[in-house]
Amino acid sequence: MDIVVVNFGSQWTHRIWRRLRDLGCETRIVDVSTPVEELDCDGLVLSGGAVRIGSGGEEEVGHAHDYLDKLERPILGICAGQQFIAMHFGGVSKPSENPEYGKVSIVVEDEDDLFKGIPKRFTAWASHNDEVVSFPGFKLLARSEKGVNHAIKHESKPIYGTLFHPEVEHTEYGEEIFKNFIGVCKG
Amino acid sequence: MRSKISGKAIIATSGGVDSTVAAVLAHRAIGDRLHCVYIDTGYMRKGEGEGIREMLGKIGIAVDVVDAREKFYSALRGIASPEEKRKAIGELFIRSFEEEARKSGAEFLVQGTIAPDWIESGDGIRDNIKSHHNVGGLPKEYRLKIVEPLRDLYKDEVRAVGKALGIGEKAYSRQPFPGPGLAIRIIGEATPEKAAVLQQATSIVEEEIESSASKGECKLPWQYFAVLLPTRTVGVLGDKRAYGYTIGVRAVESIDGMTASYSELPHSLLARISNRITRELKDNVNRVVYDITSKPPATIEWE
Repeated sequence: MDIVVVNFGSQWTHRIWRRLRDLGCETRIVDVSTPVEELDCDGLVLSGGAVRIGSGGEEEVGHAHDYLDKLERPILGICAGQQFIAMHFGGVSKPSENPEYGKVSIVVEDEDDLFKGIPKRFTAWASHNDEVVSFPGFKLLARSEKGVNHAIKHESKPIYGTLFHPEVEHTEYGEEIFKNFIGVCKG
Repeated sequence: MRSKISGKAIIATSGGVDSTVAAVLAHRAIGDRLHCVYIDTGYMRKGEGEGIREMLGKIGIAVDVVDAREKFYSALRGIASPEEKRKAIGELFIRSFEEEARKSGAEFLVQGTIAPDWIESGDGIRDNIKSHHNVGGLPKEYRLKIVEPLRDLYKDEVRAVGKALGIGEKAYSRQPFPGPGLAIRIIGEATPEKAAVLQQATSIVEEEIESSASKGECKLPWQYFAVLLPTRTVGVLGDKRAYGYTIGVRAVESIDGMTASYSELPHSLLARISNRITRELKDNVNRVVYDITSKPPATIEWE
């Protein structure tokens, strides 16, 4: 199992790498300018980052459009990664009216593959200035108690996104979420 | 490390877990070709130098104590910005290491850099949160070749390495302590006078929390310390007006330092800390506050 982490510049990119490694995956962190042809892997994670998706920052990581167009592997986008995915498919990401930093309560509405075996409510850690407000072609899997859209999944492709950060220690069931994603990559 | 280091290497220990583990690891790898120093910056905790000598002495590593207090005090004079402070400290550290390395003929510098240090120092599209003295705080030019055996590890993993090396629980379970020391816990200019005040407040916070934890009144937090704020506020001591500084107390729960939540310490413990600080430091401090912010949005250290 080989899952590549694309670095959008998050403080927690290396944490994603650690989660995957701790779960027995082959993994490496690559720069967002890496050509898609070089990504020989079973799955991909797009990290978060300080880039402001929806306010021009998407251009800084524009190379990632190729991954979504051509890779045909399961993809998980986290925070900015999720916002980028939503925008790629015609959705809208914009500055949050109520940005969330630190503890948030997550409510799962549709467990799908990502939240299988996880309680319907759990505590997660978030750190976002932007959020997705529309995501055509995707369904909502989870929101925060305050109503912010937190997890989405493409209607027909194995493409997922979370606004909260399953890679950090303070997020409950983060390891299980990664295990579920790895399960999807195994097919 | 054996394949990377030819000849001699120098390592500086701060008394924190990372540099201690790196020192033991390096000593195992290259033995007496390692020259271990402790730089007394004047911003260390009370009794730190002695503590380190004793701790590493037990493991068979001799430590040279270098008194660099005056150098650090004068380099930080008039500097209030956290980034400027960190960079001045980074520069002074490396110059001190170079000077010590010249004496022992070392060409290599072993550092206890761990993942959060280079992550938070920023690079490319990753934002600079704070310049850690051993990464982002390094000057552009220096003569030593740097070796960083713990670079991909987080604190919990470094502790596991320490445990596996058999260095004793006291050494590997110590709370984290930043290389720049109390200088980045004195908000604003870190004068020697303020360093003395914070040193005392720090030992009160450590004593009270450790004593409570040992009696089972609370769990020992992942990290716990005092910060000295530059703002003065009004108080009243024995019917006389006071106008002193504020001490912030911070205690957090974490695994790897990349996320944290504040520790829910008992009020009775917080009250004891507040009482002792305002009594024992009555000439300088007349207010104590408890930091209830998580990381993010705050970081664990205040600067």
